[in-house]
Amino acid sequence: MSFLDLRSLTKRFGDISAVEDFSLSVAKGEFVSLLGPSGCGKTTTLQMIAGFINPTSGSMILNGKNLAAIPARARGLGIVFQTYALFPHMTVAENVGFGLEMRKVPKAERKRRVAEALDLVHLSHLTDRHPQAMSGGQRQRVALGRALVIQPELLLLDEPLSNLDAKLRDEMRLELRRIHKEAGVTTLLVTHDQDEAMALSDRVAVMRQGRLEQVDTPFEAYEGPRSTFISGFLGKTNTLRGDLLETTESGSRFRREGLILDGPVAHHIPGPVEVCLRPERIDLVEADEALVSGIVSERIFLGNQWLFRVDTPLGELMICRRNRGRREAEPGETVHLSWKPEHLRILPVEVQG
Amino acid sequence: MRRNGAFALVFNGIFALFMVAPLVVVIGVAFTPEGYLEFPPSGLSFRWFQAILDNPDFIEAAWISLELGVVSATLATAFAVPAALAIGRGRFAGREGMQALFLSPLTVPTVVLGIAFLRFLSLFDINGTFVGLVLCHAIIITPFILRLVLASVAGLDRSLEKAAISLGASDWTVFRRVTLPLILPGVVGGWVLAFITSFDELTVTVFIVNPSTTTLPVRLFSHITQTTDPLVASISTVVILFTVLLMVVLDRLYGLDRLLMGEGAR
Ligand SMILES: Nc1ncnc2c1ncn2[C@@H]1O[C@H](COP(=O)(O)OP(=O)(O)OP(=O)(O)O)[C@@H](O)[C@H]1O
Ligand SMILES: [Mg+2]
Repeated sequence: MSFLDLRSLTKRFGDISAVEDFSLSVAKGEFVSLLGPSGCGKTTTLQMIAGFINPTSGSMILNGKNLAAIPARARGLGIVFQTYALFPHMTVAENVGFGLEMRKVPKAERKRRVAEALDLVHLSHLTDRHPQAMSGGQRQRVALGRALVIQPELLLLDEPLSNLDAKLRDEMRLELRRIHKEAGVTTLLVTHDQDEAMALSDRVAVMRQGRLEQVDTPFEAYEGPRSTFISGFLGKTNTLRGDLLETTESGSRFRREGLILDGPVAHHIPGPVEVCLRPERIDLVEADEALVSGIVSERIFLGNQWLFRVDTPLGELMICRRNRGRREAEPGETVHLSWKPEHLRILPVEVQG
Repeated sequence: MRRNGAFALVFNGIFALFMVAPLVVVIGVAFTPEGYLEFPPSGLSFRWFQAILDNPDFIEAAWISLELGVVSATLATAFAVPAALAIGRGRFAGREGMQALFLSPLTVPTVVLGIAFLRFLSLFDINGTFVGLVLCHAIIITPFILRLVLASVAGLDRSLEKAAISLGASDWTVFRRVTLPLILPGVVGGWVLAFITSFDELTVTVFIVNPSTTTLPVRLFSHITQTTDPLVASISTVVILFTVLLMVVLDRLYGLDRLLMGEGAR
């Protein structure tokens, strides 16, 4: 049995269904991200686990204990809030020591453990500072130290990096990984940042409108999205709507705008489907090798890569190419595109709800 | 900071003058050697300050006002803090009604309140007693505290309390260690405003005092209805001095603007 087991967790606020039939199992020591667009119910899920919101139905089992029967104060979870929620009238050491104080840990041991925690988050030099006199990244570390010092069975992080600027966010991302490794604590991270989720987690759980849509390792979720929503949410994608003509044991055939494309083996009934194609899987080739040709309508330079929009008979395609320091096609130029059939991902048509 | 234009400077100057002028007059009059309200004073004399000591009933009234202010402000604070916490972030039926009710003493004419209290206290046979005064003053001054504490509560980040709970704090510990320290400026500011309001409350108090519980404002008022000697001026001067001292101490401790604007600790 898994360490954390959420089963059919549901929360309704009146008519609004914030979380619906949410089931997820997390192994001990695992780092799982809850990923999804704003308002999809991530915070609500986390707050139910934390004990600040009562589920409408469903069960939560942590290490064999039924969480619903334990008040928030006694759950012993480490929580890092989006706004850090550091006590402004206490020093760093007092903030971090608060949880130990509540557990009536003797003063000497408290001091030792606070020092250890501050060491873990690399803040030993700021013990007596007040949070107001610290940078966002430092506050973030204090919040982490405060949550970890009580040796929680589960660490809950609600968008812990979203208040930081881009550079600091990258830095703290690495820090978070290091700290998770060193502390070895089972972690649930809420985020709407797909890069963050993919970089940090053992598995990502993608949510949409209160429901869990897919749980997989970042690689599997990226390569094998179960819906065009996930494909579009995890990284960039080209979505083409068309008809699946036939599927055989060796592959499938797909038609769009009168063009027939080869695709991978698909387990769909022929008919309307959507096809996803990652921009980085499209190659620029010579005219005679092309599956389709088009005219560059836009070109964006991103430093390490180029982004092109190309008008083709299939529709507009986004193409991503690594910057090799060479001249690249300019807007107005004709380019010839190709990709391997297995890079097409055939998905059911999204029912817009 | 933006510099003020000439117009704003003149306007603010006149306004400040207008506010300060009565105080200057009162203090000036207090130092007159004459036996009537004379301004500007023809000399400098401590005669009327001396006279305070010869009028023990004024000193006694001052003590009553002081006690009354401290006790009623404290009582009202003890009531207003939980009320503000409930109103400020609870989500229950009748929340707005509750707030309107507790703030209503601000809007009911004080004369009406005075008559109402007179009748009400008589029912319980505590008219004119210190307890009766405390109850009435507590009701009148509650809105002042409530408003400042409400402002503090509004600025309170709920996740701070959640953080404390998640770390194992009981409700009482959360209040004592997190909530109260964070709204303290509002609470102290409210207490001070309430104390000052109680200390110089006249309109309502006139209706409900008896000779043994006469407060300083009532005593001063009844004094000037009989004579117009500068004794009232010298007493007022002492009260002004006392208030200024209180403000200076508070400013040192908490910062006045923060207290009276009712901002939470940031
Ligand atoms: N107390 C509440 N009362 C009513 N509806 C609520 C309440 N809390 C949340 N909701 C609704 O539930 C849904 C999920 O909210 P939640 O805060 O969990 O989203 P989220 O995924 O954390 O979004 P974000 O990324 O913006 O933080 C939203 O539609 C929200 O409006
Ligand atoms: Mg959220």
